Amino acid sequence: MSDLIELEEPGDSGHAMRDEIRRTSDRFRGRRVAISRAMVALCSVALLIAAVPLVLLMYQLFKQGVGQIDWKFFTTLPMTPTLIDPTATGGISNAIVGTIALTLYASILAIPLGVLVGVYLAETQSKLATTLRVISQTMAGAPSILMGLFAFSLIVHDLNVGFSAIAGAFALAVLMMPVIIISTEIAVRNVPNTLREAGLALGAKSHKVSMKIVLPSALTGIVTGVILAISRAIGETAPVLLVIAGGFTNSWKPLSPVSAMPLAIYENAKSEWPSQRAQVWGIALVLVIFVFILSLTARIWASRKQQVRN
Amino acid sequence: MSQGPVVELLEYEEVAAGPVSAATSRTWYSYLLIGAALIFTAVSVSFVGSIFWSSWPEWIHHGFTLLTGKGWTSPDGPFGGLAMIVGTLETSLIALVIAVIIGLGTAISIVFFIPRRFRTIVATLVELLAAVPSVVYGLWGLLVLAPWMQVTVNPWLNSWPFAKEIFGNSGEEFGTSLLLASIVLGIMILPTFVAISREVIAVVPQDLMEASLSLGATRWQMIRGVVLPTAKIGLFGATFLALARATGETVAVALVAGSVANIQFHLLYPGTSIAAWIATEFGEAQGNEVAALMALGVLLMLLNVCLALISRSLVSRQRRALARV
Amino acid sequence: MVEVQSEIQFQSPKERGPVAMQLKDVAVSFHGRTAVRDCSFDVTKNKVTSLIGPSGSGKTTLLRALNRLHDLTPGAKVSGQIMLEGTDIYRGDLTVTELRTRVGMVFQRPNPFPTMSIYDNVVSGLRFNGIKKKSLLDESAETSLRSAALWDSVSSRLKVAASNLSGGEQQRLCIARALALDPEVLLMDEPTSALDPIATLHIEELMKTLTKRVTVVIVTHNMQQAARISDDCAFLLMGEDRAGELIEFDTTEKIFNNPDDPRTLDYTLGRFG
Repeated sequence: MSDLIELEEPGDSGHAMRDEIRRTSDRFRGRRVAISRAMVALCSVALLIAAVPLVLLMYQLFKQGVGQIDWKFFTTLPMTPTLIDPTATGGISNAIVGTIALTLYASILAIPLGVLVGVYLAETQSKLATTLRVISQTMAGAPSILMGLFAFSLIVHDLNVGFSAIAGAFALAVLMMPVIIISTEIAVRNVPNTLREAGLALGAKSHKVSMKIVLPSALTGIVTGVILAISRAIGETAPVLLVIAGGFTNSWKPLSPVSAMPLAIYENAKSEWPSQRAQVWGIALVLVIFVFILSLTARIWASRKQQVRN
Repeated sequence: MSQGPVVELLEYEEVAAGPVSAATSRTWYSYLLIGAALIFTAVSVSFVGSIFWSSWPEWIHHGFTLLTGKGWTSPDGPFGGLAMIVGTLETSLIALVIAVIIGLGTAISIVFFIPRRFRTIVATLVELLAAVPSVVYGLWGLLVLAPWMQVTVNPWLNSWPFAKEIFGNSGEEFGTSLLLASIVLGIMILPTFVAISREVIAVVPQDLMEASLSLGATRWQMIRGVVLPTAKIGLFGATFLALARATGETVAVALVAGSVANIQFHLLYPGTSIAAWIATEFGEAQGNEVAALMALGVLLMLLNVCLALISRSLVSRQRRALARV
Repeated sequence: MVEVQSEIQFQSPKERGPVAMQLKDVAVSFHGRTAVRDCSFDVTKNKVTSLIGPSGSGKTTLLRALNRLHDLTPGAKVSGQIMLEGTDIYRGDLTVTELRTRVGMVFQRPNPFPTMSIYDNVVSGLRFNGIKKKSLLDESAETSLRSAALWDSVSSRLKVAASNLSGGEQQRLCIARALALDPEVLLMDEPTSALDPIATLHIEELMKTLTKRVTVVIVTHNMQQAARISDDCAFLLMGEDRAGELIEFDTTEKIFNNPDDPRTLDYTLGRFG
């Protein structure tokens, strides 16, 4: 407290110091401002550089892909070009059917389980919950090929089901689950406690509160998470690459081999036939459009949630 | 490579827990929840377990040669994974450098220099960039970038003074190479890095920035002297997460790196990574080779888990540090 | 509500003295909507001028115009004339960075740079301006820490992280940081509103001594504080068009004892918040 009473007399040294400060800072000012402008420009350049690949990619996708797409593209099975008919590539109906089937089966496996676990994590405070939370966060970032290895090991090999749609769906389900779990938990936690307390105050039992009040409220967030998970599953190659064996029919039976759009892209990109390589752009374009639509839908849905909350 | 949950992970720990413990009451609903939790536990345990178990023969028969061996001999071994490990490290680290340098500038631009009304558009664009499936990046790399590299870039790079040491100069110009894989990887992990860096930078308190400007700092001095140091820990977290993404990326690398299992320090030569090699070889692998590939999978898992854990602890340290401010 | 009456030195209007800053018809608007207008007064050198008024009256907006902080806000427009020692700070020969070395600011919540030590915080302004000479940095650090009444308690631990200090000490650190550049004017935006009463008292005591080195312009929503520490007072009020305006400017004594405008009287009597 004694330093309170200290009164500081500036004296002459005050002004000498001020003068030196002013002089030095005047000397450097021009340089500092120039450096600042240069770095600002550099950062903006970085932003532009970051945008370039996206623009180039989109350009290529549209330029090369649009020409490939027509009714036959969606409805005929693929063919292998021959020397006699090098442009006979057929369509990708098997890949489309396969993607739809895989996504459907994977969703059936992943969504109910994922949502339930997400709710569990949001409403429980146990050691198991904490562990599962860490596990699902880790799995969400895991390389997707590991899911393929898992599906191979368990479904194809141990359960002796063989290369099949169900194996691929299993791999995709393992991929989707952590995403759904995390976003469900966040959505449920974001429901204001006042809603819960109001329900309890009205005499409802806690599980009814959870089911009838909390879940409907969290629904938008849950749906957003599901859409994002689906959008991711549609585009993943590695999990299915190992286990579905790229079927050439329009079959969607769980136990038979099946194709998928990303797989078709992966395999035909390396093809020796230019016509097949060209067709790949069409597949890629369709895939990207699907994924974009889903991502944008999720985003719009999520922002609607914000508006409702406000 | 959708990464919606990535950014949400940051908000994750801050949302308060609901007090209602529906799961602890003794009703069919709570049993359902607990049942689901147990099923998921079983799934995740068998996830790790089955890959380990399938790889067991490899560890038994060949010990650690997977980690030290140089050649990959199908179909019976020995299976040496050193080339894949080296390839993974090379491509991921170069990709990281690219992503961090460009990504940091991008994040800074987005937070400080873009007018507010454009921010949603830019954020959406970054999200879309992240949503593009990796196989499409691989396709573009293989069919567009590789020929371009082969014809234009590689000869130019090979004309540099130290080209021989870094790039190798065989006279044959490869289109697919480790360098191309690194570049494509860098493009792919860029959105992840930008998204997290943006978050971390944007939450630096406004009055810290105003305080530095009030002392006569220029905008760049404010960014470099106050904002970046304050956000430093979180930026490291973003770096590790981007690195984790890069190491795990499979099909893009498989398409553009050239799929050659040689230990390669010359960047313009083809190579491979752990994940890419698994993808490439698995189709025709039998028995022992499958076990070896599973063992590579174990390696990949360990690598990824370590990086992810480091990243998460950094991001939460950052959040705690800011809470004290 | 503590009433501190005793040692306030009232100054007669004739002895105003030289002027540090002059405001003429200053108005600030955001995207066309006026936030504060009609501000014309002189800030006397080495005195404490306070801006008082209920919340929303534009006091902080006006204060931030004085060191051009609104330059950061898109859509912000400052009209009128603000003169620092005869130079228009917006349209004159003065660069923004130079202005800010001559007009410093202390903020409402203490905000030392969290990654820096006490010493680094104090000299951060000097370093930003390119000053590297250790002797100058040390001298300036000691002088400003003494002026902020912080030297005795921190001189032995200058390398310690600034976040280790208490709230009141952190705010004094911020004052020292602003003083290190030896500015002519120190702007303070409700500097004690986030502090406990004892820390508040320390800082109010400080302000009496600060005026030996700098001119102080302080925004405060606590009118007793204004009565205690300031020499001149500007009273602002939000008008019907939701824009703040300067109602009255005069010595503190006049404002609190015998104001011209009835609204000023209402405010000082506590008739509205």
